[in-house]
Amino acid sequence: MPSEMITLQLGQCGNQIGFEFWKQLCIEHGISPEGILEEFASAGSDRKDVFFYQADDDHYIPRAVLLDLEPRVIHTIMNSPYAKLYNPENVYLSKHGGGAGNNWASGYAQGEKLNEEVFDIINREADGSDNLEGFVLCHSIAGGTGSGMGSYILEHLSDRFPKKLVQTYSVFPNLDEISDVVVQPYNSLLTLKRLTESADCVMVLDNTALNRIASDRLHIQNPSFAQINTLVSTIMSASTATLRYPSYMNNDLISLVAPLIPTPRLHFLMTGYTPLTADHELNTIRKTTVLDVMQRLLQPKNMMVSLSPDRTNQHCYISILNIIQGEVDPSQVHKSLQRIRERKLASFIPWGPASIQVALSRRSPYVHASHKVSGLLLANHTNISSLFDRCLQQFDKLRKREAFLEVFRKEPMFKESLEEFDESRSVVDDLVQEYQAAATPDYVHWNPGNFYT
Amino acid sequence: MIHDALLVLWDCTRVNEMLQIEPTLYANQGDPEIYSRICAISRSHHKIQNFIAATSFNYRKTHTGAKTFGLYGQALSEGITEILQSYKKTLLEVESLIIGNTDYTLSFVYSYVEKFQGLFNTINRIITTIKERRLTGCQILSLTHQHILNGNEVVHNAIVRIFSCINTVFVNQLCTWLLYGELRDPYEEFFIYRSKKDDHSDTFLSSPSTINTCDKTLVTTLQQTPLDCGYNLNPSMIPHFMPLSLAQEILFIGKTVILFGFDPRKVKRNTCITLNRPLLPLHKLDNDSRRFTIWEEKEAEFHEKLQKLKDPEIFEVCNLRCVVREIKECVTKHLWTVAVEEAQLLHELRLMKDFYLLGRGELFLELLRLTAHMLDKPTTRTSTRDMNHAFQLAARAVFLSNSADIEKFSFELPYVKPNLSANSTLDDDSSTVADGWSTIILKYDFKWPLHLLFAPEVLARYNDMFRLLLRIKKTQHDLHALWKTYKQSRRFAMCQLHNKLMFLMDNLQHYLQADVLETNFSRLMETVNKTNDFEKLKKAHATFLADILSQSFLTVTSPSENESAGDAADSINNPVFVNIMELLKLCDSFCSMSEFASDKDAEDYYIKGYSDRFNKLVKQLTQLLVSLRERACGAFLARLLMRLDYNRWLSAEAELTRSLTHMLRC
Repeated sequence: MPSEMITLQLGQCGNQIGFEFWKQLCIEHGISPEGILEEFASAGSDRKDVFFYQADDDHYIPRAVLLDLEPRVIHTIMNSPYAKLYNPENVYLSKHGGGAGNNWASGYAQGEKLNEEVFDIINREADGSDNLEGFVLCHSIAGGTGSGMGSYILEHLSDRFPKKLVQTYSVFPNLDEISDVVVQPYNSLLTLKRLTESADCVMVLDNTALNRIASDRLHIQNPSFAQINTLVSTIMSASTATLRYPSYMNNDLISLVAPLIPTPRLHFLMTGYTPLTADHELNTIRKTTVLDVMQRLLQPKNMMVSLSPDRTNQHCYISILNIIQGEVDPSQVHKSLQRIRERKLASFIPWGPASIQVALSRRSPYVHASHKVSGLLLANHTNISSLFDRCLQQFDKLRKREAFLEVFRKEPMFKESLEEFDESRSVVDDLVQEYQAAATPDYVHWNPGNFYT
Repeated sequence: MIHDALLVLWDCTRVNEMLQIEPTLYANQGDPEIYSRICAISRSHHKIQNFIAATSFNYRKTHTGAKTFGLYGQALSEGITEILQSYKKTLLEVESLIIGNTDYTLSFVYSYVEKFQGLFNTINRIITTIKERRLTGCQILSLTHQHILNGNEVVHNAIVRIFSCINTVFVNQLCTWLLYGELRDPYEEFFIYRSKKDDHSDTFLSSPSTINTCDKTLVTTLQQTPLDCGYNLNPSMIPHFMPLSLAQEILFIGKTVILFGFDPRKVKRNTCITLNRPLLPLHKLDNDSRRFTIWEEKEAEFHEKLQKLKDPEIFEVCNLRCVVREIKECVTKHLWTVAVEEAQLLHELRLMKDFYLLGRGELFLELLRLTAHMLDKPTTRTSTRDMNHAFQLAARAVFLSNSADIEKFSFELPYVKPNLSANSTLDDDSSTVADGWSTIILKYDFKWPLHLLFAPEVLARYNDMFRLLLRIKKTQHDLHALWKTYKQSRRFAMCQLHNKLMFLMDNLQHYLQADVLETNFSRLMETVNKTNDFEKLKKAHATFLADILSQSFLTVTSPSENESAGDAADSINNPVFVNIMELLKLCDSFCSMSEFASDKDAEDYYIKGYSDRFNKLVKQLTQLLVSLRERACGAFLARLLMRLDYNRWLSAEAELTRSLTHMLRC
């Protein structure tokens, strides 16, 4: 099977969203929690083999590697009906089970220590595929394992598999509430540096926005992890829909990612989804024309990333891809594109060609869809810099007070100096600058700190 | 004297003698005049008698070697004989009257026969016309029909009767043709004939597109998929009262009936058991017995309706047309059943989209990975085999190999001797040697009655489309493959150029696949699902193909400029298409460039070269919009450009005039 993807789930958050993702994929492809293809799905023409492989006994097994330094989430998975789905050899728990203590440095150091074992699993999994296209890394940037160990794996994935794509689903912390992880700004910044330098494509899943959507749009008072993760798995499954269902284009990850990311470092994508409705208001009838879906996708309230208001109105889209699923009259696509262009509903970069690409994709026949048409937006927008800017501000607040640095000094990486902090800060700062520059026509000549020679 | 006259009228004296032996005794003064009139009638009658003698059944019996006059001529003479009966009856009557009373004058005799003068004249006119113009078959029918309208009631009725005689022959022929597809026409008199020479040209697939017509006629060309059983219209034989369209419908019905008779599944049923659709034996039997009688219980009804047409009062064009329409409807419905239900046409149409129009993107992506290197080079003798092998591998990789559908498709890479292509008169500088991309042919083995839809010409057009799409997919894939490389490079200018080219290819593909193919295909499916008439379905398909070709700029817009090109391999000269091909070449050369440009100066040089060429081509493309504004494809070029210039960057970059920029905006 060409264009296979291997999913790496790291840490508590990564394993949780990964778990939801696989649940969703199983439902969509008609695969039972034990990995057996349901009878009703035997004639399907979907491409299960991008994300699953078939064992000798016809079981479908996810191309997934589950890694964690503490046992809690993985144990939950292993006690769920889905326990038999995964290849047990691909589930790795550190022996001491003590976790990374929400410390990036600890996670990173443990990643280094365990790197042989971890990469043995990854290599074996990669060898098992015909034409591996890349890796999907699910993690959070705020904790210890996902961020620290994730950073280590990111750095070394691109060394070991220089030609493979590395895509991450990175969960950004909720900044609306006070986190129990006090060093979260440090962790985030250190991870952001790796995401900037070693990943090819980062799908930003912002917990702030996800929580806001859950409470404001779905009217859930105190959204649980599971409810938030349902949102995430919806996005993840929709964004891989064109890979999983045969269609005329966007058959591989590169064809999704390449048009979205025209310049090397600006590879942070935000997502939007419509319709967003809670279970109890399923029966409300909504208009579902392509234009409606495309217009709604451009509204900030449907975005899964909380951006600071663009006061100067300078920010713009670098690129947009809409994946529209459901019963769509294809002739509407052109008309909708034209309307959006005429009404100037989306502003684009002034320094290069950009457009809204629309991919029409099939939907799983086994899932009852409450809406005729649903749409996912993948967008590269310069205002995503505001998210990084907030990370920088929070980092600076802590760093100024030199707070909580001792936990980092315990680890070898920071024993000598805290240079890594400054370096990461400057990388992220450059990123913010570059995003801001990308909103202007002068970006062509942009040259920060001799980045472009 | 009266007896002389009667003898003359009875045609007992030979005409030549009669002229000499003129009676010298006349009872009354006007008698010579009357006598000469009687003689004139007699002469007309004599001529007619001669004609009858020469054409009648008896004559032919005795003179086997003589030039036959055909069924229609025979019917004509029989008709005339029938008319002459009344003449003879009149003469008998006169004769008996005269015998009874000798006082009757010559004018009395004349008064009886006078009314035949007009009739005889008309019949003689018909006969002379037939002889002069050497009319046969349906032409006689037509001629007679022309004489029906006559002010003289006697003549009118008589001609109607003659016509009905001939018409019987015609209706019988029509009936066997329409209902059984048989041509009972030993003298080649019907307006449908079987062409003797069978010119089978199977070289269709490689034939370049030579549609030097505008879009509307393209639809008709694509629709006229010949049912090649050798029957054709003979235009000179079509009766004048029958419109050409009606004649074509009649031809179509007969051909279709013949077609059902040729059902290959009946001939070699054992060998083509459809694997994907197991039928119960009983059910199968049912199907077959149904196929033997297309008409089911309607046969008698149609037969009766056709027989009614023998009555000249009913034989009106509109009635004929009604019956033909009714039969045609029945035929096309049956055809629809066979094509749509038994040959699963809808499924086959989707297959056409999946394969010819690259609907199965992942399969072709895999195929490109395996064969791109091969298609880049001129084809060799083994190319076809290698290509098909790779196709099987690709199908296996995407888990399609076990489907029966994949077996229906195969590739052919025609091998051209290199020295031959070098001699061709193309003015292209270096690229005269045809590579796999421009020659590859996807072949399709469809189920039996679908050749009505997928005629050679249609498949050739599908292949044009296929080659363009495959080429774009390949270029796009190559550009995507470079993405990771440029992502790691630190050369912004290079990234930008790569990005521009990628943007162009992506949007070109989006335009073709979404705006053109998906849109038109969904329209086709809508029409197909609505109708159960095969002809409508065929028309919808032809329209679909014509639309996607013109919207993909694959048609020839100005044939006059193309004359010199002659039989060049690639005669699609739509300026937009030429421009797109140039852009594709640019992208391809960019992809191969990245392999050798190493030092910075060389890279700068190349970047500038490529950027300039890119800008020039894009500018050309936008300027084409002005010249094509009036044409249909102009609107579609505008659609493509709307995608390319979505953020109005290209138009700004290409420094267009204001009017052009304005056109792009609306």
